[in-house]
Amino acid sequence: MTLAVLDGGTFYHHATIHGPRYRELFDRVIYMRELVPADLDDVGLLLVPDRINPDLLRAQSDIFTGFLARGLTLVVLGENQVETWLPGIAWSPRPTNFWWWLERDAVPEQRLVAPDHELFAAVPFTDTVWHYHGVLTPPAGARTLIDVPPDAQGRDQGGALLYDDRSSFPGRAIVATLDPFYHHGSNFMPATTRFLDGFLPWARQVATEARPHA
Amino acid sequence: MTKPALYFSFGHPEGSGAGLAARSGAAGRIERCDIYAFDEIDLDLYGALLISMHADQRFLAGRAERIERFLLEGGTVVANGHVAYPFLPGIGTARTLPHYGLDDLRILRLVEHPIWAGVSGEDLTFRRGVAGFYGRSWHELPPGALAINAVGAPDRVLDILHPVGRGRVLLHGGNDLWQFGGPGSTARLVPQFLEWLFTPESRP
Repeated sequence: MTLAVLDGGTFYHHATIHGPRYRELFDRVIYMRELVPADLDDVGLLLVPDRINPDLLRAQSDIFTGFLARGLTLVVLGENQVETWLPGIAWSPRPTNFWWWLERDAVPEQRLVAPDHELFAAVPFTDTVWHYHGVLTPPAGARTLIDVPPDAQGRDQGGALLYDDRSSFPGRAIVATLDPFYHHGSNFMPATTRFLDGFLPWARQVATEARPHA
Repeated sequence: MTKPALYFSFGHPEGSGAGLAARSGAAGRIERCDIYAFDEIDLDLYGALLISMHADQRFLAGRAERIERFLLEGGTVVANGHVAYPFLPGIGTARTLPHYGLDDLRILRLVEHPIWAGVSGEDLTFRRGVAGFYGRSWHELPPGALAINAVGAPDRVLDILHPVGRGRVLLHGGNDLWQFGGPGSTARLVPQFLEWLFTPESRP
C-alpha cells in the first residue's frame, strides 16, 4: 500500500512535501480541504503533518477513525489538537522553552522510554530532541516511546511526546508533539530535518507493508 | 485609515490574532475572522488584510484576483512568511539557501522606514544571541517596490513595500511581524507597525 500525506496549504507544508528532499517519498499528497474517504482506499499509512488547521481535522474525524478501523496506520504530528478529534487523549500545554540548549551543560528533558521500538532503528533518539509545546496523556494501552518528567511548575505530571497506540483501534495511531514540517519547511532547525530524514523512509516502509483488515 | 483591518485566523487559538487586536495601538480597529470565510466577507468594510505566515496560501492563491482588486481600490495587505503559492500581485515565490551561515542571517537596513525607525538590525538579527528568528527568505523585488530590510545580502529582500494601484502590499518574508518585540529596540516594531497601518498619510 501507499504513503499519503495531508497538505495544509501553508508555505512550510509546501516546502517539506513538495521540496526536492522528500517529495519522492510521498505516494499521494492530499490537500486537507479536499480530503474524501476514497483518497485513502490504497493508503497504508496516512501522515498528518504538524500544524494542519485543527478545525478541518475535527470536521473530518470520521475519516481518520474509519481509516484506523480498517487496520491501517495513522501518524499525527504536533500542534494539531489531536485530543479534540481522536478519542482518549489528554493534552497539557507548557510554555515553550526554545532556549534550553543555550543553558550551560544543557541536558534535554526528553527521555527515551522504549529504546527497543523499531522506530529508533530509523530515527536516532537525539534527532527527536527539540523544543515542545506540551505533553500528551495517551489512551490506556498505548506505548509511550518518549516522555518528559513532571513540569517543574506543577502544571502537569509529565507525559508523552511520542507514543504508539496499537490497542485503541484495529489499526495503529502514532502520535507526537513534534513539529518538523513547520521547522524544516521554514529552513530553521537542522534536528527537524534529521528527524524527517529517518522518519519519512520508515513511514513509507510501514505503508508499503500494510495490509488492511478484511 | 478609517476602516478597520481584518486578521485571518487559521484554527489555532494562539494564531487567533487576539494578542494583536488587544494591543493599545490597535484600539478596536483589528477585527478577526477565519480565513476560510474569505469568500463571504465584504472586503469594502476593511482597509487592510492581515495574513499570517501560517495561512493556507493555496487557498489564497485561488483568490488572488480578489486580493488584487482590493489592493487596486486602495486596500493594504500585510503578508508574512515565504510565498509558496503566489497570491499577491507582482510577488513570486520565496527563495532560501540550502545552508545558512551567520552572515547569511544578518538583517540589513536598506532604507529608513517609520515601521522600523529606531529598530536596530542587530536586534532583529539576534534573539538571545541566536540569529534567524526574524526571517531567512527573500523575494524578488517587483518594479516600483521599496526594499526596506534584506537578509544576508542587499539583494535578498526580506521586507518589501509594494504599491499596487491605490493600495499597498507589505510583505515580511519571515515569522509574523506582529510577534516581534522583546527587550531592546524590537519593542518598537509592533507599535510602529500599527501606527503605520492606521495612519492615512503613511502611504508608501
